[in-house]
Order: sequence, then structure tokens, then C-alpha cells
Amino acid sequence: MVKEIITYPRPPSVEYSTDVRIFTDEISSLIDDLKDTINHNSLDALTAFQIGSMYNVIVIKQEDGTFLELINPRMLSTKGRVTTSESTAYFPGITAKVTRHEKISIIYEDRKLQQHSFKAEGAFSILLQRKIDYTFGSSFLNKLSQEEKVIFEQKLEHGSDIAISESCPTTFKRDYILKIINFSMIFMVLLFLSSFFIQRAEEGTSLLNYQLYLSFATLSLSIIYFFYAQYEGRLFTSCTSCQIGNIVGTFVIICIKLTLIMILSYFFMS
Amino acid sequence: MAKLVILGGGVSGHTTATFAAKWLGSEHEVIVVTPNSQWNWIPSNIWVGVGQMKKEEVTFDLAPVYKKAGITFIQAKATEIHPEGSDTIEKAFVTVESTSSGSEGEVTTVEYDYLVNATGPKLNFGATEGLGKGSELGEHTVSVCTAGHAVHANDKLKEAIEKMKSGVRQKILVGTGHGLCTCQGAAFEYIFNVEHELNKAGVRDMADIKWISNESFLGDFGMGGLHMKSMGFAVSSKIFAESLFTERGIPWIVGAHVNKVEEGKVHYELLDGEMGEEEFDFAMLIPPFTGVDLKAIAKDGSDISDTMFAPNKFMKVDAKYGVTDYNQWKASDWPSTYQSSAYKNIFAPGIAFAPPHPISKPMKSPNGTVITPAPPRTGMPAGIIGKAVAHSVCDLITKGEDAELHKISMADMGAACVASTGKGIFDGTAAAMTVYPVIPDFDKYPGTGRDTNHTFGEIGLAGHWIKHILHHMFIYKAKLKPGWTLIPE
Repeated sequence: MVKEIITYPRPPSVEYSTDVRIFTDEISSLIDDLKDTINHNSLDALTAFQIGSMYNVIVIKQEDGTFLELINPRMLSTKGRVTTSESTAYFPGITAKVTRHEKISIIYEDRKLQQHSFKAEGAFSILLQRKIDYTFGSSFLNKLSQEEKVIFEQKLEHGSDIAISESCPTTFKRDYILKIINFSMIFMVLLFLSSFFIQRAEEGTSLLNYQLYLSFATLSLSIIYFFYAQYEGRLFTSCTSCQIGNIVGTFVIICIKLTLIMILSYFFMS
Repeated sequence: MAKLVILGGGVSGHTTATFAAKWLGSEHEVIVVTPNSQWNWIPSNIWVGVGQMKKEEVTFDLAPVYKKAGITFIQAKATEIHPEGSDTIEKAFVTVESTSSGSEGEVTTVEYDYLVNATGPKLNFGATEGLGKGSELGEHTVSVCTAGHAVHANDKLKEAIEKMKSGVRQKILVGTGHGLCTCQGAAFEYIFNVEHELNKAGVRDMADIKWISNESFLGDFGMGGLHMKSMGFAVSSKIFAESLFTERGIPWIVGAHVNKVEEGKVHYELLDGEMGEEEFDFAMLIPPFTGVDLKAIAKDGSDISDTMFAPNKFMKVDAKYGVTDYNQWKASDWPSTYQSSAYKNIFAPGIAFAPPHPISKPMKSPNGTVITPAPPRTGMPAGIIGKAVAHSVCDLITKGEDAELHKISMADMGAACVASTGKGIFDGTAAAMTVYPVIPDFDKYPGTGRDTNHTFGEIGLAGHWIKHILHHMFIYKAKLKPGWTLIPE
């Protein structure tokens, strides 16, 4: 029977994955289901865990169309390292760079639970390693380097490899404009506070003038920020929506702060 | 007055002796015969092995503690059990050989009414060529099985670190030194502590660290692996362990039976029959365990060791022996009273009892070499069993020979394991795991044989603090300080 292949984000199982202790009709049916599902989806191989079964069983479709059944497989000796781009049915449409062993030796059991072994290399070795990852309930996620794991998690968030071609930077040029605006407003607040210590009316008037010039300059910078920030945001399509909200919000906050400073300055400094 | 003799002063022997002395009072005599003058909190030997603790912090003298508890302490090695007495001695007795300074080798006899064999394991270095001779550690590798071994391991590790500092790349190999080893957990903890120390010393980039073990998959731990409930998911110890090794850049060899050790090189056979070699500059390999060299002699002088002991020299108790087919293994095969199958007044708690079979799936290479981890019986299970045996013996003494024995099977018992990296209060990380039951019960819990609701694991600083707390708590308990009975085993 063709079974549904479980895909991310649904967990393959909230149950455990474990060895086959006794070969029963249930295991025989499971192997048949794996073969049917491989044929139906034109796959190279499937692990029982990928169709929601707890047992450590792998079925591989060989070049001649026959199936290799691996029960309770274990990877023993390894040689060489090779990094390739891999994909798996559990994470459809997403690839990851995984470092694997070039050559491996495998032990496994047959339907009579008799132990066998063989060696594999090249693409077959990588396929086997990817499938063995699923035994005991894992996936290649646990074989990724720290850096690749970060990239892969971003790919998972966007659901495709394409989204990752550009990443949303954590700092932008517009942040420098924002910094100047903030410094300018801090200076305006200091001017406002210093006006309370001035006795002569002329000096107070000139301070208010400086405050006015600064407010025009700050407002101009804010307008520049508003438009430039949107231009810069469009360069990174993967994070546009959250940026636009952020830019509008930042501009509104600047305007409110500036208005407050100027209202207070008008009434107290004059 | 009944005489209870306990052979061994490790976790189970010490637990049995101290509880029995407390419950029996001065009306009966409790005697401990152990070759060691000191008690050792073995889990902390790992920290001694990387120089984070001194030997004195993980050991203490037994004599003053036993004096306080009213226990007679004999520093000697038991060599023979005479469960029926002899021509000259009517009562059952054990023959012991003194290891006490000044009277080494002196042979005496100690009579008993009840005997508890808690002799633990013999570190069988001699099982692997080049790993050592008999129970003596060889010259090529180090061990952390005793506090003395751990001090030696630290000395060698420091030498390797100095070489790395002077620009000489070092190969470090940690794991098991035979296909039938147990205690993979200790080696697991040690390899991560070594890695931590190398990072601290700033020489991690100068070391190639590798793991070698007899487990058929990483995370087997001699228990067929375990599944831990974490954040709503059941995670296999295989994934848990592989993630830890991958993150730290430590490759592994599994399914390996180390069959020969020579200077700077181990030879091994894999489960697929392939032979391999691995070079090293520093290697910590756990030896396999057997029972201690203890003979059983009948009244007529004939050797009845085969009746009392399994071929691996562990004592046969109330387990179901002889079930060879893995598919037929049952949780009920495991003993619950630890009473000798041959003599009702003899018990064997802790490592000293012969397990009916391994816990991990038995496997052998095409060459016929058995490569299967032996079942762990250390730590928490040893303490719990020791206390249950103390209960049974005390009841037999105080209520009579028909008293019901206390039962505690490893198939009904949980165990906790904390493998910690580093020793600092804020820079340590520990993998804390609990498993229930220790022996999988496939009838009760189809699939893994374990209750995943009571089997969980976490990695983090909290577990590391637990490791610290356990260290101080268990040494406090073992020293019989006020409130010691309130601290669980």
C-alpha cells in the first residue's frame, strides 16, 4: 500500500524509533508499503520512519529494479570525507551541504534476522548514510555543521533554497542616518534643558533659533531616512514586509519625539 | 548472635554493610572484608583523570567510618568460600588473604552465618593482549576505573598537552578495550572532559580525538540504547550521542573488539569481520570485567566453583540462566532477590551477580568474535540492590529463615546517569539521562521496552550542577554523617 511520506514541519513520529526484534507480518507489510511508496513517488530509497513507522527498516531500489531490504542497519567503518549537496523527501525542495564518508561498511539483518555486511562508496554510500540517519528517528539535520545548520534553518523558515540566496542583513546603511537623528534630538533636549539656566532674554531667543534650525535639519533627515530606508529595503526582498513596518514605525516615533521637543521648547524657551 | 560477612566495600557492599549494621544493632556482628583501605566515589574519577580533582577528594578511609558504625573491618582479599564448612571448621567460612600493611599475604578464615558477595568486578586488562596483565593495567594505555588509575591518566594527559603546546600533534583514543566491555558511559564522559581540557589549554586544534567502542551504534551504553522524552519528542540516545560527537568534531568507530594493544597502536576487529588499526599517542581504554578470583570449595574439599559461579566468574543468583535466543529474552529473566542459586545464606548484589544475558542485542563478527557490550550494574542499581539485600538478610536474621526476601529487579528499577563535561560551576555542561526500567520489558512496553514517560534526558548546566551535588551528597552518605539514611541510593 502506498503510504504518505511525512514532510517537514510535521514530525515523522512523536514516538520512538527502534530495532526490529522479531520479524512479524507487520514488518513484512511495512517492507511492502515502503516498496509501493518508493515506486509511486519514483524515489531511490525510503526509511520506515519516513512513513511514520517506528522500526529501523530501510528499503533501497537498486538500478536493476530489485529492492535491497536492510533491517536494523548499522554503519561501522568509514573512510574519507566528501561534502555534497543533499536533499531528502522529508524536507522537500530544500538542499543542504552535508559532509559524509566516502566509503562505509554496513551491517544489517535480513528477514530471518541473520546478520550480513557490505561495503559502499560514492553516491550509494551517501544515500545509505542519509537513510541510516533516519533510523532511531533522526534526519540529516543532526549531521550538519554549525554554520550549515544556521543556513538550513533559514531555508526551512522560507520553505525553499531560493529564499536563502539573499539573507536579511542585521545592519543597514539607513541605521547611520537614524543614529545622526538620535544624536540631533539628544542635543535638542540638552539645549532645552540649558535654557533654564540662562538669565538674559537675548540668549534665550538665540537658543530657540538654534533649536528651530536643528528641528528642520532633523525633520529633513527623517524624511530622507523614510525614503532611503524603503529603497534599501527593496534590495532584500526576503525581509521586505517586516522592514516596511519597521521603517514606518521608526519615522512616526521620530516625528512624535521631535514634535514634543518643539512644543516644550516653544512654551518654555521663548 | 548472627555473623554477617560482606565481601567488598564498593557501592553495593558498603550500602549493605552500613544499613545492616544500623538495622541489626550490636546484637549481631557485621564484618566487611575488602582489599581496599579506602572507599572511592568512582563517578568522580573522571574529574581526577583530567586533573580537576585530587584523589583525596574522591576517596576516604573506611576504617574510621566502620568503627563509628560498629562494623568489623578486615582489610583482606577473599580467596575461597567454604559454604559447607570443612573437615576442621564446622561453620561456613571464607578464606581471606590480608592486604593490610604489615601483614600482607597472611591467610585467615572468617566464619559466617550469612554472606554477601559484593566483590564487584575484576578489571580484566589481561583479556586483551597488551592492555595489561590480569587485573594490572598495561604500559601503553591509561584507565579511570580506580582513583589511582585516574591520577596516572591525568599525568599522561598533561604530558600529551605539553607536547601539543610545543607544536607536536597528538592522537587521542578513548573507548573500550575489548568486545565484551561495559561502562561505555565512563569512557563517554571521559572523552568529553578531555576535549574540554584541551580547549581550556588552547590546544584542541593540535589533537585528533577519536572514539572506539564495542557498541553496535553510538549511544548503546550497554543498555541497547535508550529513548529520552525531551520537549514532547522521544529522542534516541543514538541521535543524542551522534550530535554531541559531531558538534565537537570527534569521529567514532563502533562495533569494534580491540584485540591487541601495542605502543602507540591498537588493533581491532569490526562486526563485519574487517580488521583495522588505530594509532594513538594517548589512549584511555576501559577493560572488560569478570568476577574476582574467588573459589567455592565443598566440605569434602572439592571445587564447586562451577556450581556457584557462571563462566565469567560472577555469582549465579535467582536469575533465569540459559536463555540464549535474543527474541526469547524476558525482563523476568533478571534476578530480584540476588540470593545464591546454590546456598540460601549467600547473596550477591551489584556487579558481583551473574546477569542472565546482556541487555544490548548480542552480535558477533563473521569470524565468530562476540562483540556485545556487557550489561551495566554499577552506581544507582548497585546501591538499590545493596539496600534490598541488607533488608533481606536482616529479616532472615531477626525473623527467621522463612522470612520473605525483599525483591528489586533491574526490570522494575530506573537509573539516572549524569555525564558531565568540565568542573567549573558556570562553564560545565552535562548530559543527564534517566532510564526506566534499566532492563527493557518488551511485553509491558512494546517497541523499545521502556517507558518513555519516565525516560528523559537533557543537556545543560543544571545537569552539571546535579553531578556536583551527587558527588558531595554520596560521599557524605558513605561517610555516615548525620541524616545519611535520608539520602537515596
